[in-house]
Amino acid sequence: MPENISQFIPFLVPIIVIQFGLMVAAIIHILHHNKYRFGNRALWLVISIFIGIIGPVLYFTIGKGDE
Amino acid sequence: MKQFFAFTKKELAESVVTYKLHILLAVFLIFGMMSPLFAKLTPELFKTLETSGIVIQMPEPTAMDSWAQFFKNVGQTGMLVLAISFSGIMASELSKGTLIILLAKGLNRHVVILSKFFASTILWTVSYLACLGICYAYTAYFWNDYTIHNAAIAFVAPWVFGELLLSIVIFGGTLFGNIYGSLLTCLSIVVALNVIGIIPNTAKFNPVTLSGGTLPLLGGVGEVSDFVPAMMVCAMMIIALLVGAVLVFKKKEV
Amino acid sequence: MNTLEVYGLSKSFGSQKVIDGVSFTVPENCVYGFIGVNGAGKTTTMKMIVGLLKADGGTIDVCGERVSFGATKTNRFIGYLPDVPEFYGYMCPGDYLKLCGEIVGLDDKVSKTRISELLELVGLEKANKKIAGFSRGMKQRLGVAQALLGEPKLLICDEPTSALDPIGRKEILDILQRIKGRTTVVFSTHILSDVERICDRVAVLSKGKIALETSIDSLKTRRNSKSVTLEFAEEVDADEVARVLTANGLPLEKCEVGERSIESLLLEAVK
Repeated sequence: MPENISQFIPFLVPIIVIQFGLMVAAIIHILHHNKYRFGNRALWLVISIFIGIIGPVLYFTIGKGDE
Repeated sequence: MKQFFAFTKKELAESVVTYKLHILLAVFLIFGMMSPLFAKLTPELFKTLETSGIVIQMPEPTAMDSWAQFFKNVGQTGMLVLAISFSGIMASELSKGTLIILLAKGLNRHVVILSKFFASTILWTVSYLACLGICYAYTAYFWNDYTIHNAAIAFVAPWVFGELLLSIVIFGGTLFGNIYGSLLTCLSIVVALNVIGIIPNTAKFNPVTLSGGTLPLLGGVGEVSDFVPAMMVCAMMIIALLVGAVLVFKKKEV
Repeated sequence: MNTLEVYGLSKSFGSQKVIDGVSFTVPENCVYGFIGVNGAGKTTTMKMIVGLLKADGGTIDVCGERVSFGATKTNRFIGYLPDVPEFYGYMCPGDYLKLCGEIVGLDDKVSKTRISELLELVGLEKANKKIAGFSRGMKQRLGVAQALLGEPKLLICDEPTSALDPIGRKEILDILQRIKGRTTVVFSTHILSDVERICDRVAVLSKGKIALETSIDSLKTRRNSKSVTLEFAEEVDADEVARVLTANGLPLEKCEVGERSIESLLLEAVK
C-alpha cells in the first residue's frame, strides 16, 4: 500500500471498528434469540451482514422480537 | 409538568436499554468520520490506479468535498436511519398495550405525544451534534485553512428536517398503531414532498430542500433568506403533525 | 354513597351491539363480582368505566363524578388492572411502580414507602429482576400492586385470575381478601368459585345485558331453598332416586351425583 494511503489508517480503524461492531452485535443478538417480529434467522443474518449500516439498524429497530 | 418529566425520563432510559441511543450514535459517528475521509481518499485511490497505467484526472479535494459528503450521508442514509429508529416510538407502545395502565392512572394523552417528541429530539440532537462535531474536527485536520459561510443556518437545516421526520413517525404511529403504518406515513409524505418539488419555483418552500440543499450556502453561494420559507413551512408542518397526533390520540380507543 | 353507578350503558363495535343498556350500582366497600362468559362484554364495560373506551350511550359515575372518555379526572379514584397487564419488560417492579407514582403525582418519599408496602402485600419484595422474566402470576400480582398504588376508592380488576394456575389464583384472591373492607372492588371473572369466595354482590352479564343482579347471600339462600343434598348409606342409582321422587309428587329439575353448586344456578340465569 502506498505511503499516502497508509497514513489514513488511524482514521479508518474507528470507522471499521464501529461498523463491524454494529454488525457483530446484530449477529450475536440474532443467534441468541429466535423470536423476530417477522422473518426468520437466516433472513436477518443476511440483512445484517450484507446491507452495510442499515442492516443492523433495521434488525434492532423493526426485526428484533419483544423480550 | 411532573408527568412530562417522568415520562420523558422513561423514554430516555428506554432508549438506552433498547440500544437505540447506541445505534444512533454509532451510525452518525460513522457518517461524521466517513465523510471527510471519503472526500480525502477518493482521489488518492485513483492515484494508486494511475501507477497501473490508468490515468484519471481528479481535481485536488477540498474541504467543500468533505461537507458535500456530510450533507449527502446525513441527508439520505442518515434520515432513513432516523426514521426507522423512531418508527416504533408510538407504534410499538400502542400495539403492545403498554400505555393502557399508565393512561388509566391518569397520564394525560398530550403528555405522551409531547414527551415522546421531546425525548426523540434530544436523541436526534445529540447524534447530529456528534456527527457534525467529528466531521468538523476531521475536516479541519485534513484541510488546514478553509472557510465556511453561514454555518448556523446551513447546519441547522438538516436538523430541522430530521425533526419533521420525527413528528411524522409519531403522527403515523399514533394514527395506525403499528410500525408499518408509521413508516408508510413517513414514506408517503417524503415522496409527496419530492413530487411537489417537481413543480417549478416551489423548491424555496419545500422542506425537502433542507435535507442537503444548504450545501452551496456553506460555500458562500446563495442567500440565507432563500431557506427561510422552507424552514417556516417545515416548522408549521411539525406543529400541525404534533397537534394532529394529540387530537388523533385523544379520540383513540386503546 | 355508591362508589360506582352505571346507568343505561351501551356500546357497539361496528354493527355489533356489545353492551346493551347495562345498569348497576356498586355500594362503598363492596366486593362486586362481574360474571359472564368470554365475549359477554365484561372487558368493554370495564374499559368504559376507566375512560379507555367511548360509550355510545348511558352514564357512568365514579364517587359521584361523571366519567368522560379520554379525560382522566375520575381516574384518580380508580385503580385498574387490565385483563392482560402489559409492562415495560426492561424495568424491575420497583422501577415500574416508581414511574406510576410519578405519573399519579405522589410525593417521592410517600411513593417509596408505599411501593415497598405494596411489593410486600403482593409478595414481590424479593423479585428484583426484569419484568420480562416474570410469570403470568407475578405480572398479575404486579398489576394489583400498581392498581393499588394511588390508594384508589375503586379497584377494577379484569379477569385477574383467569389465566392463572390454582396457586396463582389463590394468591390473587388472598390479596383481594386482604384489601376487602378498605376499597371497593369490581372484578370480572368466569370462574364462579372465585365469586363465591370473596364477593358480596354479583352481576351476571350475558349478551350485553345484565341477566341477574343480586347479593351473594340471596344467591346462596336461593340455592338452599331449591336444592337438597341427599346422602345415602349405600350406593344408589341416581336415576332410581329421581324416579322415586317424581313418582311421589316431587318433580326433579335436575339430578346429579354430588353437590349442586352455585354454578348451576348462575348458568341458568345466563340461559
